[in-house]
Amino acid sequence: MKDRMDRMRTGNRRLGRIGRTLSGSGLCRIGLLIGLLAWPAPLRSAALKTDAESSAAARLLSVRLLPKEVQLRGKGAAQRLLVIGTYSDGLERDLTEASRFSIAEPTLAEIDVRGRVRARSDGRTLLTVQSAGQVLQASVRVRDSAVSRPLRFDRDITRILTKRGCNSTECHGSVTGQGGFKLSKNAAAPREDYGWIVEGGAFHVLTTETGEKAPRVNLEDPARSLLLLKASLAVPHGGGERLEKDSRDYRRMVDWIAGGAVYGSENGARSAPLERVVVTPGQVVLQKGGERQLLVTAHWADGAREDVTSQVRYLSNNPEVVSVGPDGRLTGRHPGETAIQVLAGGQSASATVGVIEAPVAAYPEVPRHNFIDDLVFAKARKFHLVPSALSSDAEFLRRLCLDLTGRLPPVHRVRQFLADPDPQKRTRLIDLLLRTPEFVDHWSWRFYDFLRVISPVYKDWVRRAIAENKPYDQFARERVAAQGFDGPSRHYEDMGGTAVPLPQNAMGEQVRVFLGRRMDCAQCHDHPYESWSQDQFWGLTAFFGRLSNLHPGFPQVDFVIMDDPEGYGTFGKGAKVIHPRTKQEVQPSFLDGSAVPEDRRDDWRLALAEWMTSPENPYFAPAMANRMWGYFFGRGIVDPVDDFRSNNLATHPRLLEALARYFVRSGYDLRSLIRLMVESRTYQLSGEPNPTNRTDRVNYSRALPRPLESEVLLRAISHVSGVTGEDGNFFNVYGKPDLSYIPERDMQPSLLQALHQLAGPTFTAKLSREGGRVDRLLQRNASDEAIIEELYLAALCRFPTEAEQAALKDMIRRRDSRREAVEDLLWAVVNSEQFLNNH
Amino acid sequence: MNRWGCDSFCESLARRHFLRVGSLSLVGIHLGQYLEMKSLMAASGVKASPAKAQACILLLLEGGPSQVDTWDPKPSSGFRPIGTNVPGIQVSEILPRMARHMDKLSIIRSMTHEEVDHPLGREYITSGHRPAPAMEFASVGSIIARELGPRNDIPPYVLGAPHLTQSYYRASSLGAAYNPLVVPDPSKKDFKLKDLTLPKSITEKRIEDRRGFLQVVDDLYRRKEVLTEAAARETFRDKAMEMILSPAMKKAFDLSQESETTKGAYGRYGFGQSALLARRLVEAGSRFVTAAGYNLDSGWDTHGRGSGGENDKKLRALLCPTLDQTLTALLVDLEQRGLLESTIVMAMGEFGRTPEINPINGRDHWPFCWSMVLGGGGLQGGQVIGASDERGGYVAERPISVGDVFATIYKAMGIDWTKEYMTPVGRPIKIANSFDDTTGRPIEELI
Repeated sequence: MKDRMDRMRTGNRRLGRIGRTLSGSGLCRIGLLIGLLAWPAPLRSAALKTDAESSAAARLLSVRLLPKEVQLRGKGAAQRLLVIGTYSDGLERDLTEASRFSIAEPTLAEIDVRGRVRARSDGRTLLTVQSAGQVLQASVRVRDSAVSRPLRFDRDITRILTKRGCNSTECHGSVTGQGGFKLSKNAAAPREDYGWIVEGGAFHVLTTETGEKAPRVNLEDPARSLLLLKASLAVPHGGGERLEKDSRDYRRMVDWIAGGAVYGSENGARSAPLERVVVTPGQVVLQKGGERQLLVTAHWADGAREDVTSQVRYLSNNPEVVSVGPDGRLTGRHPGETAIQVLAGGQSASATVGVIEAPVAAYPEVPRHNFIDDLVFAKARKFHLVPSALSSDAEFLRRLCLDLTGRLPPVHRVRQFLADPDPQKRTRLIDLLLRTPEFVDHWSWRFYDFLRVISPVYKDWVRRAIAENKPYDQFARERVAAQGFDGPSRHYEDMGGTAVPLPQNAMGEQVRVFLGRRMDCAQCHDHPYESWSQDQFWGLTAFFGRLSNLHPGFPQVDFVIMDDPEGYGTFGKGAKVIHPRTKQEVQPSFLDGSAVPEDRRDDWRLALAEWMTSPENPYFAPAMANRMWGYFFGRGIVDPVDDFRSNNLATHPRLLEALARYFVRSGYDLRSLIRLMVESRTYQLSGEPNPTNRTDRVNYSRALPRPLESEVLLRAISHVSGVTGEDGNFFNVYGKPDLSYIPERDMQPSLLQALHQLAGPTFTAKLSREGGRVDRLLQRNASDEAIIEELYLAALCRFPTEAEQAALKDMIRRRDSRREAVEDLLWAVVNSEQFLNNH
Repeated sequence: MNRWGCDSFCESLARRHFLRVGSLSLVGIHLGQYLEMKSLMAASGVKASPAKAQACILLLLEGGPSQVDTWDPKPSSGFRPIGTNVPGIQVSEILPRMARHMDKLSIIRSMTHEEVDHPLGREYITSGHRPAPAMEFASVGSIIARELGPRNDIPPYVLGAPHLTQSYYRASSLGAAYNPLVVPDPSKKDFKLKDLTLPKSITEKRIEDRRGFLQVVDDLYRRKEVLTEAAARETFRDKAMEMILSPAMKKAFDLSQESETTKGAYGRYGFGQSALLARRLVEAGSRFVTAAGYNLDSGWDTHGRGSGGENDKKLRALLCPTLDQTLTALLVDLEQRGLLESTIVMAMGEFGRTPEINPINGRDHWPFCWSMVLGGGGLQGGQVIGASDERGGYVAERPISVGDVFATIYKAMGIDWTKEYMTPVGRPIKIANSFDDTTGRPIEELI
């Protein structure tokens, strides 16, 4: 056994040498050299620089100051200034630390060397900044400088609880709280938080009971408040020390309790609510190793602003790319893109940060085909990624055929297309493929997949819709409002193990599919990462509260869906939708809380369907535009495509908006949306990377490989081998989803696949079957060269290179059995990475 | 319970059956993830557990057995109670062999949950959680596979029946690495682990040649595109080859190495041979094996005439004799091989059945009070835990949750039963989940 393994390993080493011989043959090296030479000099040299080197090399073009004007309100109010320089290499850099600050009237406000202004007395003055030889000025206005602001729970204390992580989902902000003490995540529900703190009690998920209540504050002796004893670790605390005794925040908490632990504005102080927080800059490009400071400003409803940069919590979505300090200082770690979330007690905001290897000074002009390119390339420009060249005809042909029809083109078509000199041949091919029956097949299958279509009549209905190119809004309305026993009503049968799905499951599925959101968490409690409340969940659910099955018995051909005014369930059951915490019957209401109009009380689901699909609905069109984008580009602009969330940001928000607008204006025309996408240059870029975009995974600056789904892959293998049919275990190991349960596909390679590749019938018997491609080629007495060429054209839509031809011919010649050798080559072709992926 | 529940079960079964006609034969083996897991285990340094129990066999009684006609005899049963080899414990007269081995197992007579439909009930008993549409909970087998890891390179979690394809037997958010290996019905003549056997025409040498071609074909592309998947595929091919050539794997699954006497003792039907295979696998190194086989003819789902079969008739003629024979054979066999001390055996369905007989001589679904048995692996046998009321309809004493049973098994296997896993979206999930979102508690009398 061990012997055998050793032999295998030696074998592998020998094979390794063949690979190296091939690469040493010169051709590839030349290819690589050409690749490099084709790049303009600035692109090549750029890669060697650090941030410091490139900033020294670049010319400073302009300097700006943030904020443009300073408002200071209240005793001790302060504002941090940022000085930002724009450079000739297209990057911005933070010049604050190298700047000098002065103020015209030091009696009104003071300013320190780091650029922090602090109020002294009321009035207006001017501050001056000298930076890199330039002089900038900003106005300063100080008001209410003698008024010290009473501490309020809804503003000051929630901010501390957020900044210190007390209400994060790992701690008391988790769904059930921690240790009996529950806070809303990021102080989303400050009223409730206030109750838990001032009145006490423990939160329970399934009931409104709170148990015995003991206040967590001690008004008599504030320092003895449980809230402070725990947070400062004076008594044991599972979360450790969150608030050092006598820190500024600790003292503020003590003062707040001593002042009577008030909630909000009742006692006369400024009453305007916090409207939003804004992060500046909202989009940052950093060179690896570079640093930038964020500025966070709270905007109050009365127009007042407040610098809260040091009072908020920062979270990097990917600290490997960008790390962020507690005061909002960013450091670029590795090339890539991520978002920084800013949590500010009940409000949140975010900044997108890209880290680049090095700036590209001489950025080339890139041709554009339509508005997709305008928006994608504008961001690529900003992030110093140069889009790859246009794809080769072979790349384009294979990609487009797989995307539009789920099939590889026949060999003679490949030859034809590659030889065709017509400059319009790509557009012609798109036109042609959009009209094929295979297009209808493939896109029906895609819809079966994401809608989880099982029953045959329902399948027929979907297929007809694809064939007729039914407007997608109409399609969605028909599905949501479906009654009777025709096609779309059957989807209410396909979900779950019982005849009629529970209303909450039916609702969750519609929202996931058509609005791209997952509300399910809100079934049991307010959504921990989203603004969905439990009330909203059950309000929407109630639209399905009459879903019933007129079910005269077995067999199930009599399955008939209707809305029964008595309630949901199988006919006659009459169950009501009951709120799990309040135990009250729930009436249907839209997401904004508005109820169904009186005159629509007989067709709730249709009213819901109309609301969902109206052009004003902010979720419907973007959800589908995003899903379709995912099919052609390998990832959604919001990814995963059905997981829109406030903390799952779009990489290209403006593009998503533009696509959704286009989709609505086209009358929800799916084919038109598909054409728009595949005609874009973005879609037609080559997968060949250049020095700037090798690591790009989210900015579409080159085509990325996308694994073929199991069904498409099997069809492709059948096409190349010339033998159709599925053998053995294929779908199981290549992750074909079980539509009655989960919509996800597992696309990861596994040992299971490897076993099937080595011993499974798909990769053994199927490749050598009589009448298959190998058999036919050998019967025809085709030469080795012709065989290699045909297998390449069939599987990869390209001709083999000379080096590949030479190496493969040599390997075939050295074998005893030519048939076995050719079968083995076929095995290799259909197991190669360039075959397993659409690229 | 009304009979609507039954119809919908039958319907859903019929529908699934329709769906999977093609796929039943495809789900030959789900081997792969096991090695992936092994490598993960190696990385995280899982050690051999010092606990007594090393493995667990679940005999899945699909359809839901009647408690009053099996482990909790009541006047509402059509069968008489009989004494057992443990003074004071009685079982139904149609379990005569088990009555002589009652010292090996303990009976829990106060199991309870709320799910009245089969799929939801099964999800409940495999995960310990009440099913929720947004969550796929990991099965107990996947959790044990993750906590203990494999022994002797044998897949730790095996599902002994290809029809158990539902997601609740799987690992869900724990990751595909902890999914079970699904094996075909071992009572079938052509029982073979498909992708583990090379066809005659494919020699090791040819696989080498194939991989040689692959290297040439992919060379250009691999230099252009950095694909982590490609490297993973390479590694998996190496491991797959190792596995295809491994005699230990082949042996574990080779029922022909068992004597005809042993095969006969377990029973020459799906359930019996599945239990025998479970013993072989546990002996070879598996951690959690589900033996099944009651998926045919509605199994224990005895709703009555024309609807799963008349309860008493079917129990007497088919269900109890096979359960009695197989369970006894398994316990005796494990004991003779010295494996009973390290192997937990439990038998349960997704719920119990109504204490009263319905008008068509059946009993309908009843999750509110039901019975199960467990023992081995150092667990104390010969006891009765909890009690039902006089009809056997509701818990009279000491309600026990599936989570309490899991906590008991975890404790016996040396796993911290208070553990919680985080899902990718940050939801904590208890591995032993009891009523009202509390942590399950080990049943003290058993440990």
